[in-house]
Amino acid sequence: MIELSGLASRAGAFELRDISATIPAGAWGIVLGAAGAGKTTLLETIAGVRPITAGSVRLRGLDVTRLEIEHRRVGFVYQHSYLFPHLTVAENIGYGAHDDGAVQSLIERFGAGTLTSRSVSSLSGGERQLIALLRALAPSPDILLLDEPFAALDPRGRVRIRSELRRWQRERTATVLHVTHDLIEAATLGDVAMMLSAGRLSQSGTPEALFRRPATREMAEFAGAENVFSGHVTRAESTTGSEVSTLIFRGEGIELLGVGDHPGGAAHAVVRAEDIALAGTPSSSGSARNVLDGRVIEVARDGVLARVTVAVGVTMLTAVVTRDAATELGIVADQRVLAVIKATAVHLC
Amino acid sequence: MSARRAHRIAVVSVAVGAGVMLALLAVPVGVLVMRGGLSGLRQLGGDAELRRALLLTATTATGATLVTVLLGTPLAYLLARDRVPGGSVATALVELPLLIPHPVAGIALLLAFGRASPAGAALQRLGLSIVGSPAGIALAMLFVAAPLYISAARESIARVDRRYEDVARTLGDSPFMAARRVTLPLAGRGLVTAAVVMWARAVSEFGAIVILTYNPKVASVLSYDRFTAFGLDSALPVAAILVLLALVPLVVLRSLRSGISRLDQPS
Repeated sequence: MIELSGLASRAGAFELRDISATIPAGAWGIVLGAAGAGKTTLLETIAGVRPITAGSVRLRGLDVTRLEIEHRRVGFVYQHSYLFPHLTVAENIGYGAHDDGAVQSLIERFGAGTLTSRSVSSLSGGERQLIALLRALAPSPDILLLDEPFAALDPRGRVRIRSELRRWQRERTATVLHVTHDLIEAATLGDVAMMLSAGRLSQSGTPEALFRRPATREMAEFAGAENVFSGHVTRAESTTGSEVSTLIFRGEGIELLGVGDHPGGAAHAVVRAEDIALAGTPSSSGSARNVLDGRVIEVARDGVLARVTVAVGVTMLTAVVTRDAATELGIVADQRVLAVIKATAVHLC
Repeated sequence: MSARRAHRIAVVSVAVGAGVMLALLAVPVGVLVMRGGLSGLRQLGGDAELRRALLLTATTATGATLVTVLLGTPLAYLLARDRVPGGSVATALVELPLLIPHPVAGIALLLAFGRASPAGAALQRLGLSIVGSPAGIALAMLFVAAPLYISAARESIARVDRRYEDVARTLGDSPFMAARRVTLPLAGRGLVTAAVVMWARAVSEFGAIVILTYNPKVASVLSYDRFTAFGLDSALPVAAILVLLALVPLVVLRSLRSGISRLDQPS
């Protein structure tokens, strides 16, 4: 288990502040955030590489705040590998290992047998990352800190190594904290996730919660939401006595009805492109509460999908529909369309 | 003036300037070796004093270098990793001997370790005399040349990304073991280069040694002694032999430098 309480640290002028989070034992934690958000600094602080200026770190239930790096017993993989250039690949993997047999089985398990006789300088970026990962796994740590460990691997290798590492982690019920920019990686591996922004924790929860219900504009955009608007929310009077209120968002020239528990005031409205339906005429049977009259600006075809940019007044919306649907609706530039959005698809944060 | 003509004048000016600079450095050494080199080598066989001086020079320079490597490497490491309180003051102290005129360095050493000083008296009681002994020669060499080793070693160590050490420590190494297993091997060629430079500088030292220990004579003092006592012709062979001796570290340095650039590549 990794428990962080009010954690603060410094890296030059950058400051990591007030990070409180828990990664349960045996869970896979994901750290998200833009470049410079403090993701690597967070891992380094947990590992003891950077001194803690406030707060505490508990590993396996023990306070390690003042403990030296080597006594924290965590495996650490840097994005840039940091393989020791004066050692062979085999010596790198075995550097911290206690058991040669375990090292050998690890090499075979991850398919690195052909690399061990090579020199470090002859390895590709992906191969270096694999060796750095094996070096960290060789001492069998029960806590693993990964800083974009698959970034340089080719797509096939990434999938293979990722699933093998997931199996390795489950077998040992190891706790992992993993920095990644890859949303698929975050969604497929993560049990819990946290979003860092300018050295602070801006949101935590399950990866799905972060993607579907982002707490900040930055998180929404990081998660790939194309339609994010800044504005103001007012609560409509509830006539049913339900705790879930109807919310009216106004901003950037658009008005949207949403539902939820937003208290009102300054807000961002987030609508995912795939949650916007396009129609030629209003449907009398539709239950969607947002029907916006617009004009098609551009249709970009991308495989089986079509990405349609629609101008609603001065506001641009992006919708994603299948190419078949776009053809069926006859969507072309300059055509009038209705952008249809359910109130539940409007996320207000 | 056309641009082409201006370019030609600039090229010629640079070439002439570089040639004059090179000649200023090479001609005196070349003339010395040509006039005294062969006779110096011939004299080696029959001149016992010269052989003794060369042996004394080599052994004291080697001793001073070994002591500096042993004591200076930890200091260079601490300075490179900013682990010395008041690091800039410590760095200035290390570099200070480079700026002091060498006879002044000799006088300072005489005051600090001469028979009249507390340290000199204490060493005397232990049977170790600094003035007029090989120990004094080695001390003078160390004082003037160790800063070269420490500064170069510090830069070599600083070039090794400290994250290598951090990784080693996550793999179980103590700070000492991480430095021994990772940082020092990665900085190794730089450290050897620094030691060779220091050795070469120690071999050529004269000013501090002549104040502290005129006798027994190292090669540089012998060369000066023969020049003042017997004139240029007597000093020439000794001087030429010293120049030839300086070629040894030069060759070592060139072979080491080709290896350093390979090790500096990030992994």
